[in-house]
Amino acid sequence: MKLNERSVAHYALSNSPADHMGFLRTWGGPGTPPTPSGTGRRCWFVLKGNLLFSFESREGRAPLGLVVLEGCTVELAEAPVPEEFAFAICFDAPGVRPHLLAADGPAAQEAWVKALSRASFGYMRLVVRELESQLHDARQSLALHRHSSWKAIPSRCKPQAPDHLSRGLENGYALSRDCSSIGLAEEGGSRPAGSGLAECELQGPTNLLLGRGQSPVSPETSCFSTLHDWYGQEILKLRQGWLQRARGSQPECEEQDRP
Amino acid sequence: MRYNEKELQALSRQPAELAAELGMRGPKKGSVVKRRLVKLVVNFLFYFRTDEAEPVGALLLEHCRITQEEPSGFSISFIEDPERKYHFECCSEEQCQEWMGALRRASYEFMRRSLIFYRNEIQKMTGKDPLEQFGISEEARFQLSGLKA
Repeated sequence: MKLNERSVAHYALSNSPADHMGFLRTWGGPGTPPTPSGTGRRCWFVLKGNLLFSFESREGRAPLGLVVLEGCTVELAEAPVPEEFAFAICFDAPGVRPHLLAADGPAAQEAWVKALSRASFGYMRLVVRELESQLHDARQSLALHRHSSWKAIPSRCKPQAPDHLSRGLENGYALSRDCSSIGLAEEGGSRPAGSGLAECELQGPTNLLLGRGQSPVSPETSCFSTLHDWYGQEILKLRQGWLQRARGSQPECEEQDRP
Repeated sequence: MRYNEKELQALSRQPAELAAELGMRGPKKGSVVKRRLVKLVVNFLFYFRTDEAEPVGALLLEHCRITQEEPSGFSISFIEDPERKYHFECCSEEQCQEWMGALRRASYEFMRRSLIFYRNEIQKMTGKDPLEQFGISEEARFQLSGLKA
């Protein structure tokens, strides 16, 4: 079966986030006997999403191997495996041998078992859907409060670039109805973020001013250093700043910063 | 790079997000369009000869770009070689849009970014980290930057 190996290897080496990494001993290498024996081969492993890559060393320029972590469970390895701190990736599929691995110590073993157990696409998807639904509920209840506590702030400002957000709030920014992203907070059955992020909430104090794709953490945004800055802010401080400025100062306008 | 084909074959038999018979043309110059059963399972796109049970091949859909190609088709290319395209022909514009949307959302990285976005939005609105209740708020995969490889 063909696989886009060059792209896979490129992904493995890229600086996309790794979920776990470390040295493990493995018995899955070429020429290994059907049952694990010997001390195994010490490799550098990198877990990205549902993909476990192995390298000869930390500086390896090409992955040695790939294990796709779907349809599997991770278990502490049972005797008579003589290895300490061993665990195995066991596959549901018939004919797929468990992949035996061993960590350097109990903490590493535990950390790996946890990380690998949560690596499946389905697990991530569950968490995303759960949060999506929580966000939907939070937005609905916020919208209910919005009308009672705020009056309209007339302004013709455009949505802010993420790294100007805090300054923007201090200066009492508000989005006008003309902002490029559409509409109101209520979004029934929101699609997974990507199509569903185009929201701009007028005057809501805690709903920061987001244009389509302009959220610091929308999937379309790629500037992570900006995200770090943005996360540093306290929610309450933002709310206070907004309250103060909204009562008095002149709103300023700034050009929307397209990523 | 070694990988277990049986693993991938088993994965290709899992329930698909989308599956259809499409025209497919490989990236090599001079390749012709062939009918393939194309199946999207998690972040892999499998393609089968229409009468076979095992896939001819698989594409990992991380760091890929989906581009519309006239008349009602799309191509998949990868970040390290954007000109090298796998072409797909759909039977309608509607089918094409459906596939393009699904493929763009198919990567693990896309889900990760979505999660981080939602987590942050909820935290802003409610003052609470929604992952705490699950006891997973410290996991690397849910952090903004994760671990750098």
